[in-house]
Amino acid sequence: MRDERDEVIEAVRGALRTSVADQGDPRAVARILSAAFAAPAPSRWRRWLDGWHLPVLSRAGAAVVAVIAVAAGFVARGVLPNREPMDPMAVTGELPIPVVPASDPRAGAVATQFVFEAPTARSVALVGDFNAWIPTAAPLLRLPSGVWTVTVPLMPGRHVYAFLVDGARLEADPRAASVVDTDYGRPSSVLMVPGR
Amino acid sequence: MRVTSAPRRWMVGPALAALLLGVSLVVPALQAQTSPVALAIPDAKTRQVVEREIARAVSRGLPSAPLVAKVMEGVTKQAAPDRIRAAVAAQAQRLEEARGLLGPTPTEAELVSGAEALAAGIPTAMLKQVRAAWPAQSVVMPLDVLTELVARGVPPKQALERVVTLMRRGATPVQIAGLGAAVQADVAAGLAPDAALEVRARGVMSLLPSPAAAAALAPSGRRP
Repeated sequence: MRDERDEVIEAVRGALRTSVADQGDPRAVARILSAAFAAPAPSRWRRWLDGWHLPVLSRAGAAVVAVIAVAAGFVARGVLPNREPMDPMAVTGELPIPVVPASDPRAGAVATQFVFEAPTARSVALVGDFNAWIPTAAPLLRLPSGVWTVTVPLMPGRHVYAFLVDGARLEADPRAASVVDTDYGRPSSVLMVPGR
Repeated sequence: MRVTSAPRRWMVGPALAALLLGVSLVVPALQAQTSPVALAIPDAKTRQVVEREIARAVSRGLPSAPLVAKVMEGVTKQAAPDRIRAAVAAQAQRLEEARGLLGPTPTEAELVSGAEALAAGIPTAMLKQVRAAWPAQSVVMPLDVLTELVARGVPPKQALERVVTLMRRGATPVQIAGLGAAVQADVAAGLAPDAALEVRARGVMSLLPSPAAAAALAPSGRRP
């Protein structure tokens, strides 16, 4: 960049000498060049921008670009495609919800084992009010017999839950009491954890 | 002599400003989409309605966690968006009602248990009676057991009478929870709900001190 600028100056200096000398004023070249060098040299930032050779816009054109960009931002707010419901556990850190992982028993919690028989199932998850009904919170482990099981620490009290089979089918626990789901009308089970 | 042309200045400044503005508008939109409710409800219209419902409840001083959990429950149960919205609104109403009945300063857990009791059909006056029996102790367990007894088929009046008697006689939350679990097991085994409650309540009562001693030992501390 610096070399280009020097070349330009030299070219200008030569042109000026020729044209001004023809008019009989030898000091004119020095005056013009002094005035030119008296102007502040462009900053590095300015030289970097100049290097892009961007198209020139008038004030009106630049204003239009700005308006279009802002409008694009607003449009993007409304029409950006929604993400698929991804792993909810990834966001539970932001939730004020008590998600109780099996490996992190809380004080007073009672280790409670759940068992579900589903030999042909590909996956079974325990969902309930103790893990905010998040399907990935408590996956069951399949035993060779086709029985699925998981042990989670639960606080003493009443807990409503169900099993999510293959990520889609909700089933009540046949070993537990059932409960009427007034809000969603789906099968659920209820467990009383007696405490210690 | 200036190598830079003046009009270019007008292009760079607004373009950068516009870029920053555009980014500042898009980034919050992306962040909003990662909220739990946004992740759970793909439909933008329903999401807005549900989020507004939760925001309204929070502005009334209600906890958001039980409402977000209600949303997640609906999503996991593959409920229709309208049903999720209705369930969240109903839960907010129950929480607010429970707050009034379990006052003056119920905990979030008490509110949730109170809301569950109301959802199970327990009359509002009974929640007040439970609070009156234990004004300074957590009533989460008595409410949970009361809800479960009624859900098993015990008449609400009988269930309340037994639970409140145990509370006043100095039963611990663990003993009350044990009563609920035992009745649940008895009913599952085929015993009539009211008969199961009578038998199990007597069993717990036999472990408690006499009424005079219970009055002397009545809990006076704050709720845990």
